[in-house]
Amino acid sequence: MAQQQTCSCGSSTGPAGPTRIIFPCAGQANTGQLTNLAAIQLTEEGYGNIACVALLAIGTESLVANAMNADEVVILDGCPMVCAKKIAEAQGVPVGQHLVITELGITKGPSKSFTEDDIGKIVAACWKGEGRKKNPAKPGKKNGGNDSGCGCGCGGTC
Amino acid sequence: MVTIEVLGTGCANCKRQLSNVEAAVKQLGITAEIVKVDDMAEIMGRGVMMLPAIIIDGDLKISGRVADVPEIKKFLAGGA
Repeated sequence: MAQQQTCSCGSSTGPAGPTRIIFPCAGQANTGQLTNLAAIQLTEEGYGNIACVALLAIGTESLVANAMNADEVVILDGCPMVCAKKIAEAQGVPVGQHLVITELGITKGPSKSFTEDDIGKIVAACWKGEGRKKNPAKPGKKNGGNDSGCGCGCGGTC
Repeated sequence: MVTIEVLGTGCANCKRQLSNVEAAVKQLGITAEIVKVDDMAEIMGRGVMMLPAIIIDGDLKISGRVADVPEIKKFLAGGA
């Protein structure tokens, strides 16, 4: 997947940029909607390409394959429910960078309003790699592993 | 002291490149002179055809795309 504009003149210098796929959670709250806007801006700035988390949730093979082949999958979740991250993990997609918007000092609801600064804060955090893990998650079994999906880390015993 | 030149005409990507460079320098805690080069004649004179670009101590490190902060830190550490 091409991440940015390329030039046929061959005059660009330096290593090619990594390919990244960005999944915003696209939740209904202000923080969820902010993930969409941040993902769009990141795409426009050449950081990666926005993709549809709902399409991932239904297990679309081509999208799962693209995500598996990307250099980095970036997940933007609006709140600690981390729905988008759970969707990626359920599909066996390794998450390279994961940002939770409420952890960036942005309050979830009840207002739907947000500012340009909020978007800028998320975009800047991505560029800084603030959500990057030192050891990216390895692909797990679909609907398997220790994550039961409840989010409490119980391994399915709760 | 390292000299980092950020070449760009002022578009959103060039501004992002500059802010990423500033963030990388801050994270590394190094002393650096960051020079913003936005004069097109000067940019062309450097032989840079694609923007934004980063030149570190006279060495063109990257052009044609925005580098993220970890990548710039690698450049500054001499990794690329």
